[in-house]
Amino acid sequence: MKAQKVSSQPKRTLRNGNKRAKNSKWHGHNKSFHADAPASASYEHQIASSGQPSLKPLKRQYAKAVSARTVSSLLPAGQKCKRLATHTHSNGQAVSVSSSCDSETEDSRGWRAYAQSVLQNGMQTNADAEESLPSEHLGEDIQPFLTQFDHVNNRTLMVMRPGQTLCFRGKCLLTCLYGRVEVLGFTIEEGQQPYPLYSPSSHCPLTITALADSSLSTKNRKEGRQEAKMVVRKYLSSVPRKHLLNEMDSDSCAILLEALDNPLTRFLTSQSQLKELFCLSSRELRADSAVDNSALSAVGVTALNSSGSPGLMTSRSYRDALHRLVRVWGDDDCDRCPVILVYGARNSGKSTFVRHLINSLLNHTTSVEYMECDVGQTEFTPPGCLSLSAVTEPLLGPPFTHQQEPRHMVYYGQADCQSDLDRYLDSLKSLWRHSSGDMPVIINTMGWVRGLGFQLLVDLVRFFSVTHVVQLSFGETSQCPALTPEFLRTAHGWQTHPPAPSALGQAELQEAPNSHVFLSIHSEFPGAGTSGEMRHQRSNELRDLSLMGYFSQMQSPDSSLVRPLHCFTPYQVSVSSVAIGVTHCEVAPSHILYAANASLVGLCCLDENVAGRGGPMLLSQTPICPCVGLGVLRGVDMVRGLYLLVTPVPPALLRRVNCLLLGEISLPKALLTTQSGVDGDLPYVTTDYSFELTGAGKLHVFKGLARPGFVKAK
Amino acid sequence: MKNKPAAKTRHVVAWINKAEWDQVLDYLYSKDAALQNYALQRISAWKGRFGHNTPVAVESTADLVRCQVLDSSGQLDSDDLVLLYGMALVRFVNLITERRQGRVAKPLRRLAGNMNIPEWIVNLRHDITHRRLPTLKWCRKGCAFVLQWLQQEYWSRQLGSRLSEDWDSESEEEEDEETWARRREEDLLTQQKETENHKKARELLISYEKERFQMYEEWLKRGSPHGAWLEPSADLSWNLKQIKLFATESREIFTDTLVQDGFLIPTQEQLESLDIDPTGCYDPLRPCVPRVFLQFWLPLLKGLNRVTFIRRVLEKLFAELSAEPDPHRSFYLSAWISEVVLCNSKSLFKVKKKSQMMELFVNRMQLGWQQLLTTCLNSPCAATPYLLQLLLKDMDEPPPPDTQEKLLRLSSIYTQGEYHDTHGQPDPSKHVYTLQNLKEKLRRDGNSAHGLGPGLSLSYRSASSAQSLPTEDLQEKLSASVLEQRQAALRGSPWQVCTDKVPWKFYPLGKVPGQSEDPSCLMVETYSTVTVFDQQVELDKTPQHHLNPSIHSQNRAGSDGQLWSLAELNKLKSGLKLF
Repeated sequence: MKAQKVSSQPKRTLRNGNKRAKNSKWHGHNKSFHADAPASASYEHQIASSGQPSLKPLKRQYAKAVSARTVSSLLPAGQKCKRLATHTHSNGQAVSVSSSCDSETEDSRGWRAYAQSVLQNGMQTNADAEESLPSEHLGEDIQPFLTQFDHVNNRTLMVMRPGQTLCFRGKCLLTCLYGRVEVLGFTIEEGQQPYPLYSPSSHCPLTITALADSSLSTKNRKEGRQEAKMVVRKYLSSVPRKHLLNEMDSDSCAILLEALDNPLTRFLTSQSQLKELFCLSSRELRADSAVDNSALSAVGVTALNSSGSPGLMTSRSYRDALHRLVRVWGDDDCDRCPVILVYGARNSGKSTFVRHLINSLLNHTTSVEYMECDVGQTEFTPPGCLSLSAVTEPLLGPPFTHQQEPRHMVYYGQADCQSDLDRYLDSLKSLWRHSSGDMPVIINTMGWVRGLGFQLLVDLVRFFSVTHVVQLSFGETSQCPALTPEFLRTAHGWQTHPPAPSALGQAELQEAPNSHVFLSIHSEFPGAGTSGEMRHQRSNELRDLSLMGYFSQMQSPDSSLVRPLHCFTPYQVSVSSVAIGVTHCEVAPSHILYAANASLVGLCCLDENVAGRGGPMLLSQTPICPCVGLGVLRGVDMVRGLYLLVTPVPPALLRRVNCLLLGEISLPKALLTTQSGVDGDLPYVTTDYSFELTGAGKLHVFKGLARPGFVKAK
Repeated sequence: MKNKPAAKTRHVVAWINKAEWDQVLDYLYSKDAALQNYALQRISAWKGRFGHNTPVAVESTADLVRCQVLDSSGQLDSDDLVLLYGMALVRFVNLITERRQGRVAKPLRRLAGNMNIPEWIVNLRHDITHRRLPTLKWCRKGCAFVLQWLQQEYWSRQLGSRLSEDWDSESEEEEDEETWARRREEDLLTQQKETENHKKARELLISYEKERFQMYEEWLKRGSPHGAWLEPSADLSWNLKQIKLFATESREIFTDTLVQDGFLIPTQEQLESLDIDPTGCYDPLRPCVPRVFLQFWLPLLKGLNRVTFIRRVLEKLFAELSAEPDPHRSFYLSAWISEVVLCNSKSLFKVKKKSQMMELFVNRMQLGWQQLLTTCLNSPCAATPYLLQLLLKDMDEPPPPDTQEKLLRLSSIYTQGEYHDTHGQPDPSKHVYTLQNLKEKLRRDGNSAHGLGPGLSLSYRSASSAQSLPTEDLQEKLSASVLEQRQAALRGSPWQVCTDKVPWKFYPLGKVPGQSEDPSCLMVETYSTVTVFDQQVELDKTPQHHLNPSIHSQNRAGSDGQLWSLAELNKLKSGLKLF
């Protein structure tokens, strides 16, 4: 995949090639594979553009996608094909495969070895962060960052020793120049495209870890060092670099960090309450955990020492589960793609684990399918949407930084599914029909694991014929039962029920091959199970951030000007040619536009033809239908009968939209309250509403209200 | 939140403007069932906007008004109505008191009593939930009373008062009354202590001043012998001891007092009595403290000679500077800073020259240079470039020369002073900071390269015009090609790009050109209903290779005998009714 990431032009052909390679891996066990001409052309292009000596890969013992290709010209034809077929799965790095590539098993062994090496790397660094003695901690902190800021090109070069970590807040564009580094499970290697990293204060900070290159033999050390120094010289031509060159060794890593400024970051930081989003969190400030490094701060990165934030804390069970799941993908014995369902109570670390898992899998495969079952905290879409996405790029930031168009989406319209469980399950079923079935599927679920919420989980495991169930738990007591195959034999779901014992013979039960693998993870990070209380960490703030991330797609990529939503040229459509409906409550039909005006709407596509004779078309019930995105109904032209809509959805998709769904998900308040440059008062905004009066606030539910008698008894 | 009543928070609400709110309020309490119904329908739309943020009072009012409307329709039996009224009343009492609950459940009676809800309403609620249902008469009475209560407590007081509170933060506001009272008491106590300390600090300093002034007079009488009035007298020593003791106990308060007018900042009167000509050494760009005044304070500063104290004083001086005081004050503030820094300077200690300051410091102190530099930059005044120079010169680890130069230049631009390059001829071609620089540079460039001149100046002009009118660009302008592309993509569908020449940037979300302020402007007269055939989702259509055959059999077995789940069956039934 390396070539694909470097050159965009031959992307399609290459992806096809890869797909074929993968298919052959899963079906029919590849015997031959012929790289098509455009693909190989692109490799050459890549090599040429990277400007590195073409013989270099031979010096390195671990095979990479590109190196494999360069080698291939020297190898007999048969072996060449073999290699190509093998390595196209990886994102182009460190498959520690032996130089001979003669049999199937050799390949899979390689996969396993790779998984092992990832695990070991992970364990090493995590052990440092978690179990090591305080003195070692100090030692690690004292190790200074070797950095140099390049004034001319406005970027920073950093040299990292193997095992060294950089835990940081901020945002940047990372390119690996030499060696390889790992970020949240994803390995970035020299020659790959730059990756944007986002580490805002709303989430656990990201850590860049330099990976050791164990396969390098001693005789190559010197050449390696020379080559590494070449890289540094090349990228730092005009500024002092001596101190970097002195420290550069063959096993060091060199990374290039550039300031990251895109429509997303511009839009977010233009909001007054989000100005500090990419700065340190208040806790980190209190712990004084910022490490002064002017070269890093010049590109928008603040390094953290371990006193304030240890970065991602992974427990042993976490690493074991990750290791097992990554290994499944390399396993040829597995006759179908893994379908992995992750569940656990709120704040048990599901989303982070899922991101970590996706990134780890993307080291081996071009694409992972992701099924969103958590309507409240969505990964790729705005909140309130259920979706099925194909993930091809690593997730190196929180959800609001990688809003992308899912393959299929249904607008549920609320941040939790309690009001209509059947619509929730049916929506998911309708999405599942689109699952391709030839790549691993990861299913993230809601944090609702009690009562009916748990019954829904039972349904999901049955519906999606899950192969691996991962439970995350924390604390002494587990928050919900384990969804083991045995448990499922008798468990009742909301829509599904266990088979009647009489229907199946005892023998049949024994060898039921559908049973899945159950993995349990015990989260041990501080604050597991408690919701974030700091700024930008509450669930409603995260939802607002997702929406901001979504609507930032409308901002122009070239101009540094940030436009408020009301300044965009709207689309218009006749009120009688699109249906309109409310998902979460009943609204009197003649007053429907009072609910719809200036609201967030799901842009949906009904199968039916919608065409009326003047006047809005009201839906009698909430349909389950594909949704192409969200928009803001910026106004209604009552004279001409037009809805006016602003949306980032491309017109080619918008043309299919014939239904607008209103949900409980509302626009971030800041987008309504800060519309600069308008005439007169802002609609739906007031400064005179008093919350001090009785009954002025929303319904308030005390969850743990103790009875007086009970307290005394205690 | 309460500290800043000036900055009013903007809240998002469900009504488009005050007129809509007023209309709904009028109609709700109109006693006309048709109007009340209209208001209820509007509130249904509000609930759609608010979602779970609907104010409790609005919801309760709507529920109770709905009962009255149904009651007046005459279509329901009294038993039906008791049930309806009952639910509305129970919900009102429970929801309205919910926010007053603490961690431990308190009796509703007491909570309601605090809110002026009479006991009989609470009893009515108890009757409905736990005992015999009350009569319709009681229910009507209760409903009427509660509606009146809501009007008084919520509707008529809302949107008129100046009070503002944040929507989401309000939960934090609520505390036990007891803890609140306790905290208040503590606050009062600390406040009292503080004022006492301030008073004491002033007293001590005033007695010091008196002592010093007496010494000064005596010294003058004796014909001003050299340096004599610097030797502290016995009284002064005792006074200094007191001050020292106090300053170690409450350093903050002491330094706060010290930098007030009348102490380190001399009043006009004080200057006159010390025979200081205020215009004598007045140079706001390079401030220094008049010698006599310096000597006046020297014993005190020497007595308190400790790193923490000096640092604190410096910090305080800078902090006062950043508050943008009047010229007199800022002059003395910056003057004292420069004196302290000068006295501590490297050169002074190297040369061991007897300065006029007479060795304020015995040893050179580490003053936290990095921090000082930051605070200095944070509190700009006319003397900032000068102070900056002093600081930079004195730092143990100064930033690289070019950074220093940039800092100095920027600070002098900010303070609008002249920057005197220490390296002789300034080279404006190197750094362009201001419009003036740019103009000069362009002029020079234009002279040196004729071909480039016009182009550059053109781009410069356009840049400056963009700067002067930053709002002009705010409105998105689609280029003809983009517009054509979008139109082409939408052709054949009901969607279009709005091509009206509308200055959208003047129209906030929710407003379009020609929209009236009338709250009824969005009413729909005609509408039609769309019935969607329930898309039954069956997983059998999933890709075959994905499903393990055995799963199939299990699923089948799962719904064995019951092909449709109960829920699905219900759905089918409800769907059938539609035809």
